[in-house]
Amino acid sequence: MRLDPSALAEGVRSGNRAALARAITLVESRLAAHVEAAERVLELLFPHTGRALRLGITGPPGAGKSTLVDALGLHAIEQGHRVGVLAIDPTSERTGGSLLGDRTRMGRLAARDEAFVRPSPSGGVAGGLGPRTREAMIVLEAGGYDVIVVESVGVGQGEIAITDVVDVVLVLLLSGAGDALQGMKRGLLEHADLVAFTKADGARRAEAQAARDELASLFTWLRPDGTPVLTVSALSGDGVPELWSELGRRKEALTRSGALDERRRRQRRAWLSDALEQQLLARYLSDPDLARRKQELEAEVERGALLPPVAARRLLPS
Amino acid sequence: MSTSDDPRERWRQLARAELSGADPDTLVHCLPSGIEARPLYTAEDLAGLEHLGSVPGEYPYVRGVRATMYAGRPWTLRQYAGFSTPEDTNAFFRRALAAGQRGLSVAFDLPTHRGYDADDPAVRGDVGKAGVAVSSVEDMTIVFDGIPLGEVSVSMTMNGAVLPVLAAFIVTAEEQGVSRAQLSGTIQNDILKEFMVRNTYIYPPAPSMRIVADVMEFVSRHMPRFNSISISGYHMQEAGASAELELGYTLADGLEYLEAAVARGLDVDAVARSMSFFFGIGMDFFGEIAKLRAARLLWATLVRERFAPRDPRSLLLRTHCQTSGVSLTAQDPLNNVVRTTLEALAAVLGGTQSLHTNAYDEALALPSDRSARIARNTQLILQHETGIVGVVDPLGGSYFVERLTHELATRARAVIAEVDALGGMTRAIERRVPQRRIERAAAERQARIERGTDIVVGVNAFRAPEEPEVELRVIDTASVVRTQTERLAVLRARRDPARVAAALEALVRGAEGSENLLELAIEAMRARATVGEVSAALARVFGRHEERAMTTTGVFTEHYRDDPEFAALVERTARFVEEHGRRPRILIAKLGQDGHDRGAKVIAGGLADVGFDVELGPLFMSPLDVAKHALESDVHCVGVSTQAGAHLTLVPELVEALDRVGARGVRVVVGGIVPERDRAVLRERGVAAVFGPGSSIVEIARMLLDLLEATPEGLAP
Repeated sequence: MRLDPSALAEGVRSGNRAALARAITLVESRLAAHVEAAERVLELLFPHTGRALRLGITGPPGAGKSTLVDALGLHAIEQGHRVGVLAIDPTSERTGGSLLGDRTRMGRLAARDEAFVRPSPSGGVAGGLGPRTREAMIVLEAGGYDVIVVESVGVGQGEIAITDVVDVVLVLLLSGAGDALQGMKRGLLEHADLVAFTKADGARRAEAQAARDELASLFTWLRPDGTPVLTVSALSGDGVPELWSELGRRKEALTRSGALDERRRRQRRAWLSDALEQQLLARYLSDPDLARRKQELEAEVERGALLPPVAARRLLPS
Repeated sequence: MSTSDDPRERWRQLARAELSGADPDTLVHCLPSGIEARPLYTAEDLAGLEHLGSVPGEYPYVRGVRATMYAGRPWTLRQYAGFSTPEDTNAFFRRALAAGQRGLSVAFDLPTHRGYDADDPAVRGDVGKAGVAVSSVEDMTIVFDGIPLGEVSVSMTMNGAVLPVLAAFIVTAEEQGVSRAQLSGTIQNDILKEFMVRNTYIYPPAPSMRIVADVMEFVSRHMPRFNSISISGYHMQEAGASAELELGYTLADGLEYLEAAVARGLDVDAVARSMSFFFGIGMDFFGEIAKLRAARLLWATLVRERFAPRDPRSLLLRTHCQTSGVSLTAQDPLNNVVRTTLEALAAVLGGTQSLHTNAYDEALALPSDRSARIARNTQLILQHETGIVGVVDPLGGSYFVERLTHELATRARAVIAEVDALGGMTRAIERRVPQRRIERAAAERQARIERGTDIVVGVNAFRAPEEPEVELRVIDTASVVRTQTERLAVLRARRDPARVAAALEALVRGAEGSENLLELAIEAMRARATVGEVSAALARVFGRHEERAMTTTGVFTEHYRDDPEFAALVERTARFVEEHGRRPRILIAKLGQDGHDRGAKVIAGGLADVGFDVELGPLFMSPLDVAKHALESDVHCVGVSTQAGAHLTLVPELVEALDRVGARGVRVVVGGIVPERDRAVLRERGVAAVFGPGSSIVEIARMLLDLLEATPEGLAP
């Protein structure tokens, strides 16, 4: 990859699609040589960010997330916005490869000039975001996309979570699948700023409305801040405009109360911690001396003659 | 040596001696359909089989739907064909009738299937490719010019655009002076399997089911000699379904349609009689014979249990069969003559009502005149030279075949029970249960072939030293588009626009309400509206359905667990990450109206298993859409999967589009059905590699890595 960070940043700023795509590749790259260039690009882009609506969409598999992103994104475009989508798919733990299929359900949105859709492998635990989702969001935002949608399965545990990167979290649930209860158990609803029951059309419509009413009445006890619960159908389009305005209202309310500021401050702190961890790891793992000594100890560890944590401590500088 | 009274024990002793002491159970094996078979069946295997004892022509019809079967009248030789223009197709039909064919079967091109006219710029690359382009009554009139529609039975493979196409056929007959009541033949009209495997749908599932029921209602009322639906397992088998899945899901589809018709107040006897079936016949010789017998047995039993019709004819499963397209190989294609012959024999011994035999070159192109003649002759030879037509159900009573019939019926019943538990076939498809099962079966079969567990002669064993030259049919898309566009222009100039607009408006209102849409489509086509216009009018109310879902990963990892070559590839992708900072990234794309995505999905899953980051594109994309996708995802490579012959138009357009959007460095490779002579053309137009249908995941992954390691960067600097 030939790298000229300022030219690349300039390309992103001018809305050049190829530069944008390349910049995301760069910030996602794991090569040491790329990391520094990526940081320079991000430094140049960072001042041009902060105004977009950063929307996280999550929910269990089968809830219809990608299809709703398609419908919601098209609606946002009709309202004059430009929509950048980062769709995170889990990576196979066995071979490291990924099958990225979210865009297959966003055919209409993806074909639009006002949209930029980029699927990314999570590179780790299912439910987490990719290790560079924040960086990719900055690139998209600086590239002129004023609605940034991050789509992933679940809210993430252990790794970077969707709540660490977005302003508003929309949780999608499917009625009749026991999602609401499961969602509560798995901590999905804990982070929701908004909940919508999807596929509320045809035979499912009444079911979705009943599920909405039930959860809403539960929320009056559990979430006195009044987390809205809606129904929506990507197929018929019913509920899409309402969902869109409700999202806008939520962001506005968060801004007015100062909660958004607080959220973004917290997110930057979390980012610092994550970056520190990543860089520490990278520094040690790229040290050839450490790799050599690790190999030496591996034989003993394999035999069971040496306890792995003890070996690890020996490898680190005291 | 003691002699036992139990014949099985006596045989075991004899067998053990022949096997030098080894247990005869080591000879238990899997049939290609996945069912376990023992090396010997005896009279004991018939004990407790409830279906035995009936004669042909009586319930449960396991031995045949008619008492005299082929002894009274042989099966109908019905070859499926459609060539580019209505003129070519007409000429082919006339020759076929003169050469001994008894019924016609029309293959339409993909734009027609998806409800687009031939002059629609969105579908240019697909016009006339996989069948005939029919956009109006004028086109249909040419297809059947000089063919008496009151006498020749006509089968039409049409599902998505069933309303305008069947309407055009009815109007064509009308203008020939043949009333709708005199028409005989079949309309496929089977939308459920389109959502499951073939993807040539237009509207979402609910309105699509309403259209199916409208057609069933109209045909059962007004066209007594016509089959209102042909419930098709064929495409499931082509997509990789095992025999039990094909059987179970096809009958479950049939029950769902019957349910839908009865639910709107139609008499079960009027509807059931107009329903027919369509099965694929592959290389599992005895399995396929048993499948057809089990199909009749199960259908009769299920319809009686669930609908209690008064007329015994409502219990008959009448079926068309086609020899398997996926069993044909692009390598050493004359071997396909032999495969097709064996499959045809199985279909006949299973008791089919009509049969299509594939041409040997169909893995490569639409059949040439020569290959089409041999395909037809295969059936004529079976009918006239072998003597097999004279005895009804000659395998009835065979220990093995009767046992296998019972086993398949039992397994298919379990599949149907699962569908019932999910709330019927529409719900099951919505939850993607059948799709997942079929995709899994397909990936497993592919992995077995690649590992050499399943032998395919000329592909993974006994390869020909050199590929023989085969003469193939060439289609000049540009000239087809020109002819069709001109004819449409004339039609649009001559017709009465007010009458067309009124007819289309009536269709829209009918779609909003509950009027029979076929009736309204007939009036629209009579007024010379086009297939595209009628489809668009309905889409205003119903919307166009777009969907695509994920595929299976992990299958190849499992099958290649101990394979050093596979492990080496996984290691190579890992090294690629170390050198380039990310995994090799590929977009697997389908271009145009070709919805056959089994190959694309299998490859996508396989490459992910090797360690690629794989993106699957949506269906029905233009070259520009695919270029935008490739650009935004910054992929190293786009792999185009092509099954419908549009590659010569669409792939060069993709190369140009990539260039135009600024993704110049993205390599393009093509996989699927690409005749040898097209490969050079594609390479000239910037395609880096072409993979034929026999390529294994290992070969493909290796070549891709060679390619990408040489030029690893997706975007040009």
